[in-house]
Amino acid sequence: MAAAIETKDLTKTYRTKAAGNVNVVDNLSLHVEEGEIFGFLGPNGAGKTTTIKMLLGIISPTSGEGTVLGEELGDMNVHHKISYVPERPYYYEYMTGFEILKFYGSLFGITDTDRMNALLERVNLHRDKSKTISQYSKGMQQRIGLAQSLLNDPKLLFLDEPTGGLDPIAHREIRDLILGFRDEGRTVFISSHELSEVELICDRVAIINYGKIARQGKLTELLKGGRVEITVEGYSEQALKDMNIPDAKILPAGGDLLLDAPEESDINAVIDAVRGSGARIVSVVPRKKRLEDLFVETVSAPKAG
Amino acid sequence: MFRPIFAIANATVGEAIRRKVLLIILFIATLFLIIAPNLGMLSARSETVVLKSMMLGIIQIASAVIAIVLTVYMLPNEVERRTIYTILSKPVMRWQFLAGKYLGAVLALGLMMSLMAVVMSAMFLVIKQNPSEAIKLLQAVAMYFVQMSLLASVAMCISTFVAPLVNFFLSGGLFLVGTVLNPVFDTMQKSGSGASWGKGLAQLLSVILPNFATYNIQNPLINPQQQIQSEASYYINAFGYGVMYIAIMLITGMLIFEKKEV
Repeated sequence: MAAAIETKDLTKTYRTKAAGNVNVVDNLSLHVEEGEIFGFLGPNGAGKTTTIKMLLGIISPTSGEGTVLGEELGDMNVHHKISYVPERPYYYEYMTGFEILKFYGSLFGITDTDRMNALLERVNLHRDKSKTISQYSKGMQQRIGLAQSLLNDPKLLFLDEPTGGLDPIAHREIRDLILGFRDEGRTVFISSHELSEVELICDRVAIINYGKIARQGKLTELLKGGRVEITVEGYSEQALKDMNIPDAKILPAGGDLLLDAPEESDINAVIDAVRGSGARIVSVVPRKKRLEDLFVETVSAPKAG
Repeated sequence: MFRPIFAIANATVGEAIRRKVLLIILFIATLFLIIAPNLGMLSARSETVVLKSMMLGIIQIASAVIAIVLTVYMLPNEVERRTIYTILSKPVMRWQFLAGKYLGAVLALGLMMSLMAVVMSAMFLVIKQNPSEAIKLLQAVAMYFVQMSLLASVAMCISTFVAPLVNFFLSGGLFLVGTVLNPVFDTMQKSGSGASWGKGLAQLLSVILPNFATYNIQNPLINPQQQIQSEASYYINAFGYGVMYIAIMLITGMLIFEKKEV
């Protein structure tokens, strides 16, 4: 599949009084495929927003190279094919929802009011289009942001914390809209701290830490390595140890024994052995690896170099 | 090329005319213009002279404060609120953004100055019933408009590399120096006496600093004894100087803004 975003050794260095030259983004190599929802994760100050600004062509990299939809970074042509919704976006508060679309449309030379009305309907703001932005809730402001981002029918959308600070209903509305973008063949690049949200909708993710890519890949692959907890009654600890399951832990559990083993272990052999001995299986609980676990594990690692 | 500039200018005007701090300045200035005829009695000079100079003074001071307050926060606010990122991610170049903001600021300034000019003319006509004098006062306000557009361009240029508060004092200081000291520099430069280095420095400063004094035509309007020789060429020169200086300020600002990490 063609790459929507491809960067190689992208670096952004800032000079600070306290620390001299600091690589806010450090040799970052990203690969985002067309038509996928890509999660870009990292703790505060990891370099996410700086990376997005470089991809949008708002700032120039200190070194490295990259393409967005096949165009070199900073090429103005790509601005016709991309869109961006910043974190907690601010729109001119005196304007109505409809006027916001007219304003952003005018930057492209788009004057088609039918299209604007259709977009307002799509984000469920058609009944509130005459209200000023100051009367909009956070969720409505986020939705008008998404509506303006669709004006130019973009192939690639950059969304910075699209569900940050929203209530569960608004979360769901935004999530459904984003999933709809993928169904239409658009690529969505999401920077977010809402890991459960990212896990629900993203195809692939990259975790950035100290400006470097620490993990990158398909969610299904990155989240491999879950564990299974088997609680047994009337079975000996030594018998469990004799099974010799790598990376397994045996713990007391209120008179029973708890075997905590990697999910790729031969669980069936354990179950058969326990049942064959006449002992009882109390429970078998698969513990899936969560994105949150992966994130914490990744960002807790000490800074290399 | 001009489409985004006009769109940004339009949005800027809409926002500027709703800014409370500007509306308060405008309200106070308008209030002073309305009560100005009653303040003339406080001076021993001719009532008409006092009224004219007071009205023009109110408009000039209020316009200068509006021009500075309007422009010093314009770029920093856009960055702080992240509006700039949404706009620059569209097919909008940085110079177009800056040009749009400046055009919007000047249009908003023009609207506010027009309102003050209307109130001033109405009050003057009611009190003095002299339409030709009222038109002359409007000429002075028109010159102030060019002066304030120049001031706005200076503040806009400085805002590309300096924090708003510093810019406020820097632009205000330049306005004062360019208004008060430029005529002094001119005199020093033309005088036969004095050290050559002093005259050289005066010449340098009078070229570099914006000459806001050129637009202060209130004295010939107020005192019939003072006259501008060849009015047409004076106005054309003043206008041309303003346009040229504004262009230099904007281009400098654009070049700095182009390299700025936002």
